This record gives sequence, C-alpha cells and structure tokens, in this order.
Amino acid sequence: MKAKRLEKATLEAVRDQLATFCWRDEELEELVAPSRGLITPLQTLLDDLERLRRVDLGSLPPEEPLGRRKSAP
Amino acid sequence: MTERILFEPATALAERVRAGELSCVELISCFLRRIEALNRSSHAFITVTAERALREARAWDQASVEAKASAPLLGVPLAVKDLIDVAGAPTTGGSRVLFDNLPAEDAETVAVLARSGAITVGKANLHEFAYGTTGENAHFGTCANAYDTTRLACGSSSGSAIAVALGLAAAALGTDTGGSVRVPAVMNGLVGIKPTYGLVPSTGVLPFSWTLDHVGFITRTIGDGAALLAAFSGRAPATTEPRAANGSRPLGGIRLGVPATLSTDRMDHAVRAAFEHALRQEAQCGAAIEEVALPDLAIARTVSLTIQMPEALSFHGGYLERRGELYGPDLRAGLAVGQFLLAEHYLRAKRLAVRMRRDVDRLFERIDAILTPATPIVAPEFGAAHAFLDGVEEPIGNALTRYTSLLNVTGHPAVVLPSALHPLGLPMGVQIVGRHFEEGRMLALARLIAEEPAFRIPPPSCDRGAES
Repeated sequence: MKAKRLEKATLEAVRDQLATFCWRDEELEELVAPSRGLITPLQTLLDDLERLRRVDLGSLPPEEPLGRRKSAP
Repeated sequence: MTERILFEPATALAERVRAGELSCVELISCFLRRIEALNRSSHAFITVTAERALREARAWDQASVEAKASAPLLGVPLAVKDLIDVAGAPTTGGSRVLFDNLPAEDAETVAVLARSGAITVGKANLHEFAYGTTGENAHFGTCANAYDTTRLACGSSSGSAIAVALGLAAAALGTDTGGSVRVPAVMNGLVGIKPTYGLVPSTGVLPFSWTLDHVGFITRTIGDGAALLAAFSGRAPATTEPRAANGSRPLGGIRLGVPATLSTDRMDHAVRAAFEHALRQEAQCGAAIEEVALPDLAIARTVSLTIQMPEALSFHGGYLERRGELYGPDLRAGLAVGQFLLAEHYLRAKRLAVRMRRDVDRLFERIDAILTPATPIVAPEFGAAHAFLDGVEEPIGNALTRYTSLLNVTGHPAVVLPSALHPLGLPMGVQIVGRHFEEGRMLALARLIAEEPAFRIPPPSCDRGAES
C-alpha cells in the first residue's frame, strides 16, 4: 500500500499526542516543505523506507560485531 | 626557514626536533605565531590552547633522549576538532549550547597522541555538532576553502582541514559520521583517514551517531596519517606493504574494485575525467581493475540518515529541552527528522547496515581495495543548498557524501587523497577503501598511488607564498 504524502497536521498531531519534543511550527513546516537542502527531505526518506520495507532481511540482526579477520598478505 | 616548516609533513617536523635542529618550543611558537596572524580571518580555531601547548613543548624539550626517541610525533602541532575533549579547554561542539562545557580530562585519542609527542595547539571549528558537511557555522564563522575563498572548506571537520591547509597545524583530529573527515580533507588538497569503526577510541568525543561516528585524521601526507594511526599501538600496522609487487610495476598484483555504477552516476564532468585518468594510471602501474557491485549508495544514504538522526536526537534531547533556543535552525530541523521516524524504521536501517557490511566484506574476498571518486563535485560556493548535476538537483550534503557515507554504515576503513585540480582550480580526489582492520595495507596502497607524479597537485596559494 502506498502511503499518503506526509502532512503538517499529522506531525502536529504526533507532537501534541505522543511523547515528543516541543517542535516549533516552522520546524514541522520545514519537514513537509524543506528549504534548507542539507539532507534528504523527510518525505523522500519515508518513501525510500517504504521501498526498503519490501526487502526480505530474514533473521538478520540489527547488530553484528566487526570480525578481526586474518587474511592472506 | 620558519615559514617553510609550516608546510612540512608532521613526521619531518618530528624528525627535525629529534635531530636537534629546532626545539619543541621553537616549533610550537612558530605555529602559534601563524595562528595569531590567520585565525581571525580563517575561523580555523574556536579556542587556541597556546599556554598548554607551550607548557607541553617545554616539558618535551626537557625530557630525556630516550623519551624523545620513543615519541614518534615529537612536537607535532595538532589541531583537535572541537567535538573532542582537551583538558582545560572548552568543548563547544561548535555550538552556543555548550557554552559552559569545560572537560577536566583529555579524550582518549588526544591522550594517546600526546603520549606520542603531539602537542594540541587549538580546538578546531566545525559544523554545529558535526551535523552537516558544508562546515557552515553561523556562530563561530565559516571556514573558506584553502584554494578559493569564495567556496566552502566543507565539513563537518572544517577547521581541522583548514588548520592543516593553511599551516596552522601539522595534523588534525576530526570525526567522520558520513564523510566529515574525508570530505573537507580532500576539498582542501589533504589526506583524510577514516579508520575501521572503533579502532580509534571515541571516549571523550561528543557523539552525533554512536553507530556511525569514527574518529579520524587529516594530514598533509599518507605517511603522516600512518604515523598518527600507528600511535594507537598494536592496533594499526600502519606501514604494512600491500600485496607483493609484480616485477617493476608498483601496483603489480593489486586488484582494485571500481563501482560498476560509476559510468551512469551523475557527477561533475571534470571529476569524472580525473577519476578515469586515475584509473588509467593505476592500470599502467600494474593494478588489475575490475567492476564491483557496491551496495546501492542511495540506499546507504537512507540507511545512514535513518540511523543517525534518531541517535543524534537521543543525545541532544536533554539539551534541546533546556537550551533549545541556542541551537542553529538547520540542526533543529535535522533533529526533528529524527523525531518522526519510527522505531521499526531505525531497526530496519540497522539490519540493512549489517547486510551492507556483509556485502562489502564479500567483495574483499576477490579484491584488495575499492577505488571511488572522493566526491562527485568540487567544493561548493558559500550558501549553496543544492548541487545541480546534469540538470538534476541534489541536496548538497548528499552530493558531498555520496561516496563516503556507505563506509560509515559498513565500518570499513577509507582514505582520501587529492588526485588532480579541477579547471576551477579546486582539488578533486580519490577514495581507497580497505578491509576491516587492514589500514596498513590500505595506506601502503594509497602511498603508492600518491607517489605517482600524476597525483601531485599544487598546494594552495598560501603554501606557495610561504615557499617562495
């Protein structure tokens, strides 16, 4: 199912109803209509994550120590 | 001579001191005079630790011959990113938020380098709390590029790079969460090393993302980077030779993997030409070049952001509550991204990171190193929010870290070095990626590449002026 486009009202509801920080209106506005450009906009990130939801990760854990592998010189 | 030594490799300076050509006090005083002259205009340092530096220099001058002989970085003036604790100097994180943060102890990394003889001369400027790769800082000033003052030094370790590029320090410590050591290093014609995740300790370093943060080095030469890495004794065999050379060709027998997607990646045309030229050079030197399927770099970017922004928010949450008005607006907006991702998003990204690490590990079963452009663009102009490549707009931070961010996700070591000058007079570079904990082999290969005449770029004009 394709998620609907994120709206500021959704973010306001999350801010007001869940345990979040007191984000200012202009910060929520920036999330739905970004102007700063530094990083991927939230909507794009969510779209990417929606695509990645379909990737089968099996039983892969979220953490795995780096192996100190000995390899041939 | 005093002007000339400002631009000598750190290892050469240490050798001069050990040989008695100059004292630690003379060396440090020379750099402090340079800082006094240029810091206001360059914004390289937020805090200059002159008193401590001279005290340590005097102590080293009075140390025994044996102690000096066992200090490979004897007298080396070191810039420390102001995210990393230096006892007695404020750690601001490049922010107004930590105006009262005065650490009593050195970060472990600083302490290790100090025991090797390095002397901290100042706390280097950065993008606020290492959030962005442009290095812009509204409060402490934005560092201009060493090659063109209308362009950004880039970051987030902007001051660390500029300190070395302008001869205010001989080496620098930075942190790298998506490219924050490598990008400013190469954009200013320097070497940037991001070691294997966890190899260089992060105790005493303000975190941005526990999963992705790496402490790294910015130096003038590969040899200097190897010397800094070697200070973390026994954990980084920094001078290991790569696979035995075949015949007289320096890269004979080396297998270099190149991302198969490069031919269709959007990038500056001169950057592409320079990279293709570099590949031809490597092949002529005997390297076997083969295309490899790297994990998707756009997905790596998504994974990186989905991990780092909630982690950054988690660290900054307390300060955000108490001192939220002191944060810059770009960082506040970034932290808000971390708020509205879901817990399952974060865990999915962490699991994808594990898969990407395994995928890159598998590539190393048949190649010795991966070679990529360091960045697809050159240093942007002040105020640039987007890069435009082949008519397509891309957030500037994403463009700058396109080839670097994956290695923070997988934890593999990477080094960048300049490879050519763009027609605009700006440095371009390549990135070499090695196996986990095989920095020695990676740096030895980088050294071979850096020694090729085609890879030598002229220093910035400040350096040329000092040499004339």
